[in-house]
Amino acid sequence: MIQRLLPFLTLIALFVALSIASPHFLTNTNLSSVVRQTAVINIMALGMTLIIIAGGIDLSVGAILAFGGLMGTMAMERGYPIVAGIFIGAFAGMLWGVVNGALATHLNINPFIVTLGTMGIARGLTLIVSNGLPVHQIPQRFSFLGEGNLLGVPFVLWIVVACAVAVHVILEHTRLGRYAYAIGSNPDAAYYAGIPVAFHTTAVYAIGGLLTGLAGMVEASRLMTGQPTAGQGYELQAIAAVVIGGGSLRGGEGSVIGTLIGAFIMGLLSNGSDLLGISPYLQQAIIGAVIILVVWVDELRRRKMSR
Amino acid sequence: MLLALHGIQKRFGGVVALRRGDLEVQAGEVHLLLGENGAGKSTLMKVVAGMIGRDGGEMLWQGRPADFRSPKEAAANGIAMVHQESLLAPHLTVAENIFLGREERLPLGWVRRRRMAEQAARLIAEHGFPLQADWRVERLSPAGKQLVEICRAIQHGSSLLIFDEPTSSLSESETQAVFRIVGALRDRKMGVIYITHRLQELRSVGDRVTILRDGETVHTGPLAGLGTDRIIQHMVGREVTAIYRREPLEPGAELMRVRGLSSRPLVKDISFTLRAGEIVGLAGLVGAGRTELCDALFGIHPPDGGTVEVEGRAIRVKSPREAVAAGIALIPEDRQKNGLAKALPVGYNMTMASLDSLSRFGFLRHGAERQTASEFIARLRIRVDSPHQLAGRLSGGNQQKVVISKWLARGARVFLFDEPARGIDVGAKVEVFEVMDELARSGAAILMVSSELAELLQVADRILVMRHGRITAELPGRTTQEEIMRHAALDDGNVKGEVIQE
Repeated sequence: MIQRLLPFLTLIALFVALSIASPHFLTNTNLSSVVRQTAVINIMALGMTLIIIAGGIDLSVGAILAFGGLMGTMAMERGYPIVAGIFIGAFAGMLWGVVNGALATHLNINPFIVTLGTMGIARGLTLIVSNGLPVHQIPQRFSFLGEGNLLGVPFVLWIVVACAVAVHVILEHTRLGRYAYAIGSNPDAAYYAGIPVAFHTTAVYAIGGLLTGLAGMVEASRLMTGQPTAGQGYELQAIAAVVIGGGSLRGGEGSVIGTLIGAFIMGLLSNGSDLLGISPYLQQAIIGAVIILVVWVDELRRRKMSR
Repeated sequence: MLLALHGIQKRFGGVVALRRGDLEVQAGEVHLLLGENGAGKSTLMKVVAGMIGRDGGEMLWQGRPADFRSPKEAAANGIAMVHQESLLAPHLTVAENIFLGREERLPLGWVRRRRMAEQAARLIAEHGFPLQADWRVERLSPAGKQLVEICRAIQHGSSLLIFDEPTSSLSESETQAVFRIVGALRDRKMGVIYITHRLQELRSVGDRVTILRDGETVHTGPLAGLGTDRIIQHMVGREVTAIYRREPLEPGAELMRVRGLSSRPLVKDISFTLRAGEIVGLAGLVGAGRTELCDALFGIHPPDGGTVEVEGRAIRVKSPREAVAAGIALIPEDRQKNGLAKALPVGYNMTMASLDSLSRFGFLRHGAERQTASEFIARLRIRVDSPHQLAGRLSGGNQQKVVISKWLARGARVFLFDEPARGIDVGAKVEVFEVMDELARSGAAILMVSSELAELLQVADRILVMRHGRITAELPGRTTQEEIMRHAALDDGNVKGEVIQE
């Protein structure tokens, strides 16, 4: 039980340690900035949670994020209203999710390979469409999405919470969520039970893509540009958040709360390193080591359970 | 005395797997190790083979206290284990597998392939195994793989060989081949420990028996003069009537009609009907196409010819979806692989096929789901703490009941049971048969595939026999094993090589 709570305890310990170590940590400004910085990874990681539970993986989310962000900002540049732009960005992400799911299920190619391929294609298309140049002509009010406050907390926190609740409801209270667990836990048994495996797998990737597109708009709003090179390496952070939070790359395991904790652990590690003046080079190494440590402890727990 | 174990104890976390494991094996004897699933047989053997440590007790190997800390150390001392599931490297050849981990090497790690191939070939020829040193292991049948494991053990100069349920996946003729080999090993003064579930095959291999129950050795002695009923009684700890006999009932309406069904390459021109209340057995040798027939009916490998009608309506199955929609259920041969999501709760597994009716607008109706799960846990007497328990932690019999519940919850009417009692305890077997009987009585039609002829004779109302993809006979339920074998194996005397390499 203690081990099951390990990610949560790690988060608390980090929080307490940083509160003691740095006077600047427990300030409104700093905590808000942690929330804003982790929001993008959080939203992506929530979609990744669904995908990983269903036994898949999506390496293309970093590229999809850039694609979505670019489509949304380009729409605004052409005079579409802000809300429409956000929808277009999210929707563009969803299309890539559908492509990923359809390729993985209908061509029966390993999702690792499929999304490695679409990662390149989506990034390439983004660069072609934008000519490699960022989109700058964006209405000023769009910055509210990433930088604004609502009821005293960052607006993105509300978005993260809404997405988290939505994914949690999908996982625990819908047929799609149950099928995701079944497919991830044993795809053969799911198929033998008459579950439309291809359709539901594709739906899961589509939701992942939708959230990634939305994350792309948040990122664009924070930067106030549609950046075709945005999101590089984010896929690994999103996967790491899920895995730190107890998700298993073998499928069938993972939870919304775990993923949120995982994303915040990484956010705090990076924020704390900044506050304590640890070099960004070392930060990366620390985060990498923490990923291995947490997953190793989780593996020990699993082994103990199964024997 | 080759091996002596006294009072071996082993616990995993809070679970006691072995309380008092006693076993003595002499050179030149085949010692049967019996017990229900979870009795501690495998744990005891893992202790002997150095795969796990023991918490208490004494182990004497060739008269000296021994404590093997790894399989490698046990192997170096002459103990080898042939596993139920093949632990071979499928992409390597027979010879490479025989020498795996013990390659003959020149300095700098150069592997002497040709020399090893020659040695392997000599070993194979010496024993007359139907193998070739350069065959790739992935192409071998389960029996062929087992032979390779046996070669491995012999090559390493073992003096004690442990067989963990060697014949559970083998056909009749392959089983006989394994028995011959076991006999030959005994003649060479090796000690053999043989774990099995199949009571029938005991007589043809064993010299002495040790029976475990709940982690304790409850009986040990010569096999001769020990009746099957006594063995079962020792295993189960109470009187059990192993001889289950179903009372057939008057069959009702026709539920399934199959005409000229074929599914290349193993199912050819199959016709039969199933009626409500009937249990129809399907017998045949391994490779006769029984599982393939079930797979074709269920849409795993859709048929390429013929017609299937369910309750008078013609159906076309392209995937399990259509079969399930038509009311067909498959309880697959390999339930761990195809029937269960082991890491998910029992309740999830039970409702997996019926979420369409247990949800509204895509949202689960948790109340209805819970009710379904508890209903079937009670009805099939499934032993679980709660529906939240993970399916993988149940015993084989209870897992099988969970798989059956999945289809009961769905309201299926035609059940295809593929080896329903394989790998299940004696006591649980009878319970599974009772569930099948109950199903038939409530108006379902059942097709039951089994390699255990005795089982078919106990349960089936009539028996279809398949050979080489065709139905060769339809026999009444009260027929004999000899009669079934006659139709199943008519011209199978010369296919041993074919059986070994698929």
